Amino acid sequence: MNPLSLIRQFIKGLTAETTPGQIGAGIALGFLIGLMPKATLTAQLLIVVMMASKVNLPMAVFAVAIVSLLNPFIDKVTDPVGYALLTAEALRPLWTKLYNTPVFPWTGFNNTVVPGGLVFGAVMLAPVYLGGKKFGAYYNDKLRARVMNSKFVKGLKASWLFDWYFREGV
Amino acid sequence: MRWSYVAPRLTLLVLLWAFFFFAFDPLLKWGMIKGIEKAAKAKAEIAELETGFFPPRLKMAGLAVGDSSAEFTNVVEFAELSFAAEGKPLLEKKLVVEEGTLKGLRFGTPRKTSAKLPFVKEEEEESRLAAAMSAEAKNFALDRVGDVKTDLSADYKVEPGDLESVKLAKELEESYTANYAGLAEKFDDGKYKADMDALKARYEKAKGEKNFIKQAKEYADIAKDAKKVMDAFKKDKAAAEAALAEAKGAFKKLEEARRRDQAAVMAKMKLPSLDTRSIGRMLAGPMIAEKTEQLMKWMAIAKKYMPAGTKGVLKNEAPRGREVHFPKEKTYPTVLIKKLQLTGELGLDQPLDYSGTIEGLTTQPQVYGRPTIAAIKGAKGPRRLDFRGSLDATGDLIRTDSRLSYSGMAIGAMSLGSPSSLSVAINGATGALEASAATEGDKVSGKAAFRLTGASFKPSAENIKAAQLRSAVESSFAGLTSALIEADISGTVTKPELSVRTDLADNLSKAFSSAMGAELKKAQDAAKAKVDEALKPYKDRLDSMASEKQAELSNKLKASGDRLSAEGESLLKGSSGRSPLDKLKF
Repeated sequence: MNPLSLIRQFIKGLTAETTPGQIGAGIALGFLIGLMPKATLTAQLLIVVMMASKVNLPMAVFAVAIVSLLNPFIDKVTDPVGYALLTAEALRPLWTKLYNTPVFPWTGFNNTVVPGGLVFGAVMLAPVYLGGKKFGAYYNDKLRARVMNSKFVKGLKASWLFDWYFREGV
Repeated sequence: MRWSYVAPRLTLLVLLWAFFFFAFDPLLKWGMIKGIEKAAKAKAEIAELETGFFPPRLKMAGLAVGDSSAEFTNVVEFAELSFAAEGKPLLEKKLVVEEGTLKGLRFGTPRKTSAKLPFVKEEEEESRLAAAMSAEAKNFALDRVGDVKTDLSADYKVEPGDLESVKLAKELEESYTANYAGLAEKFDDGKYKADMDALKARYEKAKGEKNFIKQAKEYADIAKDAKKVMDAFKKDKAAAEAALAEAKGAFKKLEEARRRDQAAVMAKMKLPSLDTRSIGRMLAGPMIAEKTEQLMKWMAIAKKYMPAGTKGVLKNEAPRGREVHFPKEKTYPTVLIKKLQLTGELGLDQPLDYSGTIEGLTTQPQVYGRPTIAAIKGAKGPRRLDFRGSLDATGDLIRTDSRLSYSGMAIGAMSLGSPSSLSVAINGATGALEASAATEGDKVSGKAAFRLTGASFKPSAENIKAAQLRSAVESSFAGLTSALIEADISGTVTKPELSVRTDLADNLSKAFSSAMGAELKKAQDAAKAKVDEALKPYKDRLDSMASEKQAELSNKLKASGDRLSAEGESLLKGSSGRSPLDKLKF
């Protein structure tokens, strides 16, 4: 991923795509990505979805960062769930088939925290989305103006680099 | 849909396609040339390189790799290499080729431009085996053989200080004294006495204990500790005895050094040997050593690039979570060429066309589970080539096995021996080579037989001053039309050892014996006696010191052992048959 592009989308996200739903979706998607080991095709595909959809990017990135930091604790839940799924006799033919299918092993599905994380993420997706949506409303009402008036964002918007890079405006 | 994100990526895809269509082949060609040059330390050229994606394929034409040690020579060149990779393994980042073709493979061809690379340091590796054989042939001087009749050995003085065996005897004496001091210090019997005294004190104290359970426990502990003391003693005793035996083993080196001294003295006196093996080494040794060194050099290079004995990718573990592995229907090695059809030419003057196959070329033989097998055949006129070889790296040790049969070789002119002693020029011969070799890890073993027929042999005996001997040598080659040279190779790839035999040596030995064998033998015995005489005082002193020290240490060990056993027994008797100490036997 182009880092400049990410920064650009990130800064744009501070002012655009800020409806509570978009913020909630960003947080939910970021939460799911955060649960995954990043060097897998699953995580990379989710990142592509995040970048291609109109979710709020800064919130999604924050969610990814925070959940990634909490992973050592979350793994204590996702690892046994994933292990139970991967060693379930009923699912063994499916896993074996996927294991022998080209490209699929790159998704890291045989790593306990991937299926565990996907199941945990799916279960938590709705509550996280709803919580995120509420936070989005609160952010728009109370925090957005403060963020936009912060020295960091003002300084960034006033810089010549920003002016040159975001000629079409943000 | 966020088109600002999607559109640039679509553009990127188009650019990616354009890159592969226009720039991939030249870049790959450049990268391959640089890679080969780095490995070969010489210039390399690839005339043409073409890749395709549906199906994934590669065609390389006109590869020439220069020789870092010969500026205008190519180590290897081929006309064309082409193969198509299987699609499914590529998705697992594995290159699997069902069948490839390598055409026009040739070695040692001349090149028009220099192969030298700038800033590459030339490595001048001295060929130790070839150098040693050449020196042996050179020292096999016959120029003073005529003097043996005048008792040459009588004027030759042996200086003890110059002898390798005397130097070694002095070194052994010093090291033995130092080692013995170390052993005596290590074997400190006072330590065991103190430990046993402490145990006795504990035992006396335990006797007064009124609580029976506590007393039994203490007895058991004392028994355990006493066993520990005895075990430690036995361990130290075994170490001391092993060190003594090791020191004794070093004395064998003295005998080897003595033999080398005798050989060196004879060489200095310029006395030739009547032994057919020595004569064989003098005649054919340098030539065979040179060929063996070349072979070993190639083997060392091949070994350097041979795959490591691990299963590689199968040992990948995730940094987070746990990986659960499932049965794999088919596991591919990272690179595998199942079959490579090979054609080429051998030799430059009258090239011999050959063709064959190499099966199972892979970077991960343990994953593939089968050895690499090569079978090459060639024929032209009366010449016949048949080579079969296998390389098995599926186990812990890499094993190779190869057989070569090459007959009908036209040998223009060749020379055996050394011009400074005796050389034999061979002309108009036809050669036939039968060779087999096997390696296991670093160990190498093999044999070769080279038969020359229809040849004329012309000895160059000008350096032999004794007319009688010169005439005998010349007549031994007269009318000879064939010869057999045999060599056995053993040792390791890095340090091969050669044993050379030839029927030419038998002829020469007979010639030497008939000319002046008796005088020569007498002179050699005298040389041996001189070395023994010079070494005797040093060897006697070393033997006597070693015997004395060994007896001293053995006595010390026995005395300590006896004392400890006695004390242990006394400790046991005092327990009145109530404790586990009864079971302890020293």
